[in-house]
This record gives sequence, structure tokens and C-alpha cells, in this order.
Amino acid sequence: MTLTEKPQGPRTSTIPPEMRSGSLRPPLPWRRKVLLVIAAVYAVAVVWAIGRTGLSITALFEGYGDFRRLLDRMLPIEFRNLSQIIRLAFETFFMAFIGTAVAVVISVPLAFFAARNTTPSVFLSGPARGFIVAMRAIPDLIFALIFVRAIGIGVLAGILAIGLSAIGMVAKLYADAIEQIDEGPREAILATGASQVRAILTGVIPQVLPSFIGIALFRLDINFRTSTILGYVGAGGIGTLLQLYLSGLQYRKALGVVAVIVVLVLAVEFISAAIRKGILGADPHSHKRLSHRIAGLFPGGKGRGNVAAQAEAASRASFNRETLRPPWTRDRRRMAIFGWGSLAVLVYAFWSTRLSPVRLFTSFGEIFVVATRLVPRDLSWLSSVVVRGMVETFAIAIAATTIGLLISFPLAFLCARNVAPARWVYYFGRSLLVMNRALPDLIIAVLFVSAVGLGPFPGVMALSIGTVGFATKLLADSIEEVSQGPRDAVTAAGTTRLQEAFTGVSPQAMPAFVSTALYIVDINIRSSTILGIVGAGGIGFSLIQATRTLNWELVGGILILVFAMVYSIERLSGWVRKQLL
Amino acid sequence: MQLSGDVVRLRGVRKEFDQGRVVALDSVDLDIHAGELTVLIGLSGSGKSTLLRHLNKLHVPTTGTVEVLGQPVADLSGANLRALRRDVGFIFQQFNIVGRLSCLENVLSGALGRLRGPRYGVLSYPKSMRREALELLDRVGLGDRAFQRSDTLSGGQQQRVAIARTVMQKPKLVLADEPVASLDPEISGQVMDLLFRICTEENLSVICSLHQVDLALGWAKRLVGLRDGQVVLDKPAEGLSTEDVMAVYKRLDPTGTKQNEYEPAMAARGS
Repeated sequence: MTLTEKPQGPRTSTIPPEMRSGSLRPPLPWRRKVLLVIAAVYAVAVVWAIGRTGLSITALFEGYGDFRRLLDRMLPIEFRNLSQIIRLAFETFFMAFIGTAVAVVISVPLAFFAARNTTPSVFLSGPARGFIVAMRAIPDLIFALIFVRAIGIGVLAGILAIGLSAIGMVAKLYADAIEQIDEGPREAILATGASQVRAILTGVIPQVLPSFIGIALFRLDINFRTSTILGYVGAGGIGTLLQLYLSGLQYRKALGVVAVIVVLVLAVEFISAAIRKGILGADPHSHKRLSHRIAGLFPGGKGRGNVAAQAEAASRASFNRETLRPPWTRDRRRMAIFGWGSLAVLVYAFWSTRLSPVRLFTSFGEIFVVATRLVPRDLSWLSSVVVRGMVETFAIAIAATTIGLLISFPLAFLCARNVAPARWVYYFGRSLLVMNRALPDLIIAVLFVSAVGLGPFPGVMALSIGTVGFATKLLADSIEEVSQGPRDAVTAAGTTRLQEAFTGVSPQAMPAFVSTALYIVDINIRSSTILGIVGAGGIGFSLIQATRTLNWELVGGILILVFAMVYSIERLSGWVRKQLL
Repeated sequence: MQLSGDVVRLRGVRKEFDQGRVVALDSVDLDIHAGELTVLIGLSGSGKSTLLRHLNKLHVPTTGTVEVLGQPVADLSGANLRALRRDVGFIFQQFNIVGRLSCLENVLSGALGRLRGPRYGVLSYPKSMRREALELLDRVGLGDRAFQRSDTLSGGQQQRVAIARTVMQKPKLVLADEPVASLDPEISGQVMDLLFRICTEENLSVICSLHQVDLALGWAKRLVGLRDGQVVLDKPAEGLSTEDVMAVYKRLDPTGTKQNEYEPAMAARGS
């Protein structure tokens, strides 16, 4: 062993000649230049957007005064007609529940058509994917607006709005889950001579079932949140009351309704998290990124110990040797209670909302008729009002995203378990975030409009606040996933916390930061199209006018513009993401 | 400042993880003399990493005292702790360089503790430091990779970047935790040569945990063997035979498993 005694020849420098002198700045390839140009354009856009939406320091102070006055008119909070509030709250929940069920029922076959490994033909997967993308691009409140006009005021319009817009997310995640399965079991079943459908039922469904349930429960959360506002446009639920009180300037009662909404949203979130944990063994408080949280529900990912425990329980449990039915282990009991319980809730929901499943079914025909009328025949609908509305929508989204993210980034470091300077900071920050997210963006917008009047300014404020709640959570989650090793190494060099956060944490979390920021841009473009429905600026105002006058071509035209904007921003952000990662 | 005497003094150090269910170090007494090259050997899970991580307060002992460069490590905090860490370089088995940063930025991160005033290392480093970092990269043979992203390097190259980062700190004591355990024998030899040569040139005290007995015997002035958290061998390397050293490695439990070094650390931080 003479490795250590190797003779060392005269060493030559490895520094390239052009770097022997000069400032040692990193090289600048063309991609970076393009990105810098995009960044510069973005910066200009932000300045323009802030001017366009009337945002300024003085406006903020004036807005603050207005908000104080609104609070004065709102406090003390008043719970009049509590029984009616509670009845409507349940109606809201049932709307969300039936809507989620509708979305799941449509999403399951759609996902199997869309997934690359189970689609019967590429001619089906393409349209299926297109439909999913279209459903995702159109905000739920726009669906609600159209359906209220098409099939009348009431819960049915709300249910359909929730159901259809939920397809965009549910079917996409379902298809992703199907594409990630282990192909082995399916091949084995096909090898026994079973049909394709049989192989999917036996080889695929059991693999994806846990993630299907997890995604559905997760979407129920989101649906409940959005369904609280649908009543504002007449689509049933507790939002009806909010609209009634606000238009009657009864602010104390309105705040009472808002308080009930916040409590209920939190309650549903906790219950759904508890059920997910109980059934799927996924820890709802494992602060992981959403995608990981859902990915964690896949079999084989997490819960290996759980499977082992299950097997042990099954072997211990006694079962009837004659009928050979599987024994009632704890997991099977839980699953059965969940299954039958969900069905019972669904039946009760139909009964309680006085909705017949037949009516639900026939309404799809009516929607189809409206959908055909939405297709514009020419460009006569395109007016300067529409163009101005779209421009304003874009400005609101850009301004709100920037303000929200500027606040979110530093906040996220305080809300990350592994970076927060103290435990209590972390818990305090996280509870604030939960509270913030319990309040739907549009309700914040409604309150701001009540405080400072109509226009884009309250829209930007509301969207910024919503962005902070959502973005901070996503950013903090990704910070928590940073690996500890490089951080230890940087700390070991004797750095301060701040230096370590910049050198050890940020570079590692950068891909997630970029993805989150671009995702937030996407979401905000979508949300800002509906702010106008409550008077907070943007294209939504033209939209609500058009539905009131039953100008379907204008509605359709605006939808096409919204879709085009959402889609092009999505493509642009996709390109930027690819360059940065 | 040239130190004489002991750079490290451990007295009765005991470290428990998981509320006492795992004892990683058990009444360890150890003195390391200045300018000495000490190699720690022992089975996986014998407490080598835990011991090293106590010396810059990545771990805090359950009982006992740890003195490094004349300072009680466990009592240090804030600026004093940072000052100590600046004087103690640490090289990790998994290299622990920040993958998305360029090699130069990784080396520069070693100088973060030296920065003062407006240049906080948040956005940029002074020109002289960048030059210094490039020369260190050259010294480990990677001068031409300065602006390459460090996660595109091979394992041996990454560890060389880590060595440059540590030297960038201008430490007085270097701790190396199985620096070549994830590398193949040939690369291991090169990296160890590099590490020990630089440390000898800079007259640094080194404590390095190693599994390669031949490398250990070739370079070390002193060998310390650990087993189950206790010191079972502590002799000058000169005159030691391979058999003496291998005795430390004799497995009592053939299924010995290594702890994930970050799990207990996270738990400790959480409590």
C-alpha cells in the first residue's frame, strides 16, 4: 500500500488563462440574458400595474382609515337568525359534498381515458386532457354565474359549478396517480387471460384507491371554501346571506356570517385531515408540499410500517373458516365506516337540499345547450370595455402577486420548522397562515369593497392577502424539505443565521421557490378574473353584466380571452421554470 | 496564533439519543495536541461522527465537558460560537456542498464567517476573496471548474471543493468525518493525500475518522479507536501494526447498523 507515498510532480495551475486576472464574475450565457430581459420586463410591468390599479402609499393610508370605519360599523359582531345561518351552513357543506361527488364520478372514467397507460386510444386521451385543462382554466365562480342564469337560482347551480371546476384538478391528479402505478400486477392479470377492463379493475384500482380517496377529501376542503362564496351570485349556500346583509348595509350581521364561515372552513379542514389520517395513515400535519402530500398517499411510499401492522392484525384476527370472508381488522372496519358513512352523507345531502338525482342528471343537458350558445359567431362582442377589463385583470394579478410574494418570502423562513429562530415563532406563524387561508379570497375582496368602494384597489389588496396565506405555506413547506447536510457545513464555517439562510437554505429551495412563484402567478391570473363579480375590478364586472343581460356571446368571448390569457401565462411560466431549474 | 498544548479536551463526555435509548458516547476522555494529525477509527455506529460533531456544537453532550481551542463549547452561543466554528473546519462524508451553487460560490461560503459590515455574503463577496477562493480551487486541482455547478462534479471532485471551502475558513483545527467513505479506493487515496498535505502545509491540527487502515497508518501521528462510544485504543501510529488496528474492527454483532446521523440531530434540536 503505497498510495500515500506517491511522488508529487511539479504542479501546474488549473486556472484557465482568461481567469488569471479580472473581476471573476460568472459567465453570462444567452439563456440568462433572456431571463434578465424577462425580469426587466416584469419589473416594468409591476410598476405599470401598480399605477394602473391606483395603488400608492397614500391610498393605503386612506384605505386603512376606510377599513377602520368599516370595522366600527361591523363591531360588535351580531349573530341574528343563528338557526338560519346554521341551516345555510349545512346547505353549503352539502353543496360542496355533492359537488365533490359529481367531480369524482366524472373524473374517474375521464382519468382512465386521459392517463397514458390506461387510455383505450390516443384519440380519446387528447380530448380528455383538453377537457380537463379547460375545466381548470375557468374559475368556479364564472361557472356559477353562467349556471345561475342557465338553470335558475339555487343549490343546483352551485353544485354543478363546484363539480365541473373541481374536475380540472381531481381528474388531473387521478390521471397522474394512474400513470405512476406499478405495471406488474396488471400484466400478471392480463397474463391470466383477463380482459383489459378486468385487469384495470383488479390490477389498477386497488393501487390507486388510496390516492383517489386522499385527493377527493382534499378537494372537499377546497370545494367547501369556494362554496361559501357561491351564494353571492345566487348559487345557494351561506353566501346568499352574506350578499343579503352586505347589500342591505347590515355589516354587523355580515361579519357574523364571515365568522361562522371561518370556523366552519377550519372545522372541515381538520375533520378531513383527521379522516385522511385515519384511513390512509398519512399524517395530515407532516408539513410537506402539497404534491408530496398527495404523492405520500400512494401505496408503497409511506406507511410501510402500517402495512406490516395491518398484516399482523389480519393474521391474528379470527375469521369464519367456512365463508372465508376477510376478518374485520381495524383498517377494514374504518374503511367500511368511511365508505358507508360517505354514502349516507350523500343521500342525506340530496334529501336535505331537496335535490333529485334525476334533476341533477337532466341539468347536464341544459348546460350543454347553454354551452353551444356561448360560442361567439363573430367578433361583435369585442369592445373597448372588454379590452380594458382584461388589461385591468392582468394588472391586478401582477401587482397582487408581487406584493404578496415580497411579503411571503421572508415570512416563509419564519414559518419553516427547520429555519424558524424559535419554536413559538413557527407555531405563531403557522396558525396565522391557517387563519388566513380559512378566509376565501373573495370574501376578503367583498370586505375590502365594502370598506374602500368599487375598483381594482380593493381587488389588489384582497388578492395580496390571499397570496400571502397560500404562498407562504407552500414556500415554508419547501424550505422544510431542504436537506440538512449542506446547512450543517455552512453553519460549521461560523456563519450567522441570516448568512446560512441565504447560502445553505435558499439555493437548495430555489427550484421550489421558482415553481411556487410561477404557480402563484397562474392562480392569481385566474382569481383576478372573478374579483370583478364582487366589484373589485377587472373583467369580472363585464362578465356579471353580460350574464345579467343574457348576452351569451359576450360571456363566451370573455371566457375565450380568459382562457387564452391563463394558457399563455402558463406556457410562459413553464418555459421560465425550465430555464431556471 | 500558534497554539501549543491541547486543542481539544474532552472530559467524561456522554451523549444519549432518543431519551437515553441510544448511548452514542460513553465517558470519553480525550486530549488532542496542537499540530497533531489524529485518526479516529472504529466500526460504523461506534460514535466517531458523534464525537466529531460535539467539537463544533453540532451536538451538545448529555453530560461531561468539551473544550476546543481553550473554550467550553457547550456554553458558547451567538457570536462566540460562530467565532469558534470559524476556527474549526469540518469536512463531511457526504461532502455537503450546496449543489445548486457554483464551485467558486461553495468555496466562498467558507469565508462567510469572516465577512463584516455591508458585505454580508448575502449577495456578493469582495473581489479579493473571490481571487483567494479561485486560488484554493486551483490548489485542489479544480481551478478550471470555478463556475461549473457543483452538483455536476464527481464525488471526489465534490470532496475536493469541500476541502477548499474548509481551508477558505482559515481554521486552526480541521475535523474530517469519514471524508472518503463514499469514494472508491483510488480516489480515496488522492483525496486523503490532498487533505493531509494541505493540512500539513498549513500546520493545522487534524482529527479525521477513517476506515482505511493503510491510509490511517500512513499519515496519522496518533490513532484513537472507538467501540460502542468508548475509547479502546489510543496510541502513536508509529509502531502500530495492522493487526493491532484491525482488533478495533472485530465485529461482536455481525449485523451492526449505522444510525442516520441526521435523525438524532433533528430530534435533539426539536426538544
